[in-house]
Amino acid sequence: MGHAGLQLVMAMDAILKNLSARCALGELDKRRADLWFVTVDPAHVRPALAHLRDNEGFTHLVLLTAVDWMEEGRFQLTYLLHNRAAALDVGLRCFIDRETATMESIHDMWATAATYQRELKEMFGIDFPGSPGVDDEFILEGWAEIPPYRRDFDTLAYAEATYTNRPGRASEDPEEYMQRKLYPEGA
Amino acid sequence: MSLRDILSPLTAWKNLLREPGTIKDPLNREAADRYRGFHKNDAALCIGCGTCEAICQNAAIDMVAVDGIETVSGNSGLRPRIDYGRCCWCALCVDVCMTSSLTMSNHYTWVESDPDAYRFIPGVDKKAWDSCEKGYTRAEGHRLTPTKRAHMGEMEPEQRIGGFAEIVNGYSVEEALAEADRCVSCGLCIATCPAHMSIPRYIEAVRDGDYTRGVSLLYETNPFSQVCGRVCTHKCEDACASAHEGEAIAIRWLKRHITDNATAADFQQAAGTAAPATGKRVAIIGAGPAGLTTAFDLAKMGHAVEIFEARPHAGGMFRYGIPEYRLPYDVMDRDIQVILDMGAQLHCNTRVGESITMEQLREQFDAVALCIGLHLGRGTRIPGSEHPAVTKAVDLLRDITEGKEVVVPEKLVVIGGGNVAMDIARSMGRLQTQRYGKLDVTVTALEDRAHFLADPDEIRECGEEGIAIYDARGPREIVLDDNGGLVGLKTFKVLSIFDKDGRFAPSYDESDARIHHADMVVEAIGQMSDVSLLGEALTEALEWNRGRIKADADGCTSEPWLWAAGDCVHGPDVIHAVADGHRVAASVDAYLKGA
Repeated sequence: MGHAGLQLVMAMDAILKNLSARCALGELDKRRADLWFVTVDPAHVRPALAHLRDNEGFTHLVLLTAVDWMEEGRFQLTYLLHNRAAALDVGLRCFIDRETATMESIHDMWATAATYQRELKEMFGIDFPGSPGVDDEFILEGWAEIPPYRRDFDTLAYAEATYTNRPGRASEDPEEYMQRKLYPEGA
Repeated sequence: MSLRDILSPLTAWKNLLREPGTIKDPLNREAADRYRGFHKNDAALCIGCGTCEAICQNAAIDMVAVDGIETVSGNSGLRPRIDYGRCCWCALCVDVCMTSSLTMSNHYTWVESDPDAYRFIPGVDKKAWDSCEKGYTRAEGHRLTPTKRAHMGEMEPEQRIGGFAEIVNGYSVEEALAEADRCVSCGLCIATCPAHMSIPRYIEAVRDGDYTRGVSLLYETNPFSQVCGRVCTHKCEDACASAHEGEAIAIRWLKRHITDNATAADFQQAAGTAAPATGKRVAIIGAGPAGLTTAFDLAKMGHAVEIFEARPHAGGMFRYGIPEYRLPYDVMDRDIQVILDMGAQLHCNTRVGESITMEQLREQFDAVALCIGLHLGRGTRIPGSEHPAVTKAVDLLRDITEGKEVVVPEKLVVIGGGNVAMDIARSMGRLQTQRYGKLDVTVTALEDRAHFLADPDEIRECGEEGIAIYDARGPREIVLDDNGGLVGLKTFKVLSIFDKDGRFAPSYDESDARIHHADMVVEAIGQMSDVSLLGEALTEALEWNRGRIKADADGCTSEPWLWAAGDCVHGPDVIHAVADGHRVAASVDAYLKGA
């Protein structure tokens, strides 16, 4: 590792140490020297974000996104922050219950968060009470199904029920077609 | 109003002479290198598995027949047709494609007045972007389905060579789930399986952990699923779509996993119950896979079935021809018991032609099925091969199964490159190890390594157990000493096996001769049926096909009361024998209903 790499690692380690002094940290995933993800409890997300923004120079909220871990009955939220001056990225992860699916809003910390939270409400059904326009339609006008990014939403069934085929479409099942062609007498 | 608001319109003049930033011709603007544009398909590489259609979340893909593309084993002959009225360019079809034949060009503009033009078969309906090199392909190393098989535990070579215990452990639930998850359920395997087992559906049962459903699906087409879960020739795996860019799904081991985890009640339920008695009687000669499958089906149909077996136990070639380390006796006995529980009556130690004649069977029964296997070994007929220390593999394997005291030489040479050669080499190697504490077995095969007839697993395991394999060696003479004692086998290097017309006519390099020293030589170069039970009159009356009894697709011989099935008709293959049994049973049933 070169000098620059070593500096990065030292900088990240210091950030991690400072953060761990303020809240309990869960699983740590160091993807690169300048990019790592750490899991925190949902209740510690706001204080951790505030610390990173105000004390560590992570002033830019790159994105807020979700993953549906359906089998585990929970959603993962990832808050990705960027430190422009030091060219470092930190992702804060937290897990929330899939049934209740509610998380504290951070629109007051970054105005752009309101847009991400509005999207997550519409696509995953994750609520952020108090976030501006969070209940307004975003892109799914008149949507009556379960949120489409939830993994139990059946995209194919929806597409087949909603859209008609052009006349003349027909398909063969490879399994049946092969048996018919190779064994015409049904043997 | 600020000064800036007053001055800013004037600052626009500074751009007057600059090159405009607008695009002159947006229709001809090239997209990024990996842009997801219109599809391409290498129709020669595509196998028509339909996985692209199955994954499409917009139902934009149809699988359609294409003129000039034949349906063959492992290739349905169908090709994907895409409706761009529905495609959302998500590229899942490209990511899942089992052969990487389906890709996307970075061509994204296309103007037509006919909306039907936007539905076409990539790679077949020629398009301007077919030769476009840029576009989206699946990134190297990224696959939606793993290419490696789940791990299968097996006994270490030094441990297994000391006895006949089963080598392969079978999958744990976790391993089976991982392996079942690799299957894309395309179904290309089904047509290739002689019994047309519903492979994707029983693999789905493994995924669901529903072994009751799994064993039910197995019994729909195969009452020998425990046996076939271990020793099937698994041609299905050759046709597997996963084999194109990785390892084929371990279909055989997944079948075994179902039978290992199903309960006795599951088997009983899957086998079903017999229909009311029809009053018709059927005799079956031979209690191997073909005979027992025929018996199972006919007994289920309500016919009274009696099986005549010359040996002390049922099982035929898979009991007397396959070593116990590959197929344990208790496993095959469980399969056989389910079949016999359907009501067929088994007469062991009853050799037709001695205990009872074919003529008597014909008189006493409404139909007779001949399922006699291939119990006689073929000989090389090379000089010296009549020596008492030269023997046939099938005879020796049968003696081992029956627990007879067999001569165990300190040095053994086997002639043959098929599974039977490997079976006898490994069986005798075990007996040598037990008796002498060491093994000295040599296999000489006519074929070179690239064309071996034996399964790759068998060859690998032979090597692990310390058996020497000499490929491309043609047997020329059994070498004897002055006292008539066996010295060994003389072989020449094989230059070619077939002549220019494809006929068996090996040619040798006689300058490359080798003596393989041995106390015993075993011939494992093929088997044939013992048809002496037929008697002279029936042998004369029957039509023959190059030494085998002639039978049509339903197993009917030229005698209207006699059917033939299994190895004696189609050659050695358990699953083929099962498929034959089903066909013969259906044909006999139709005959009895019409009689």
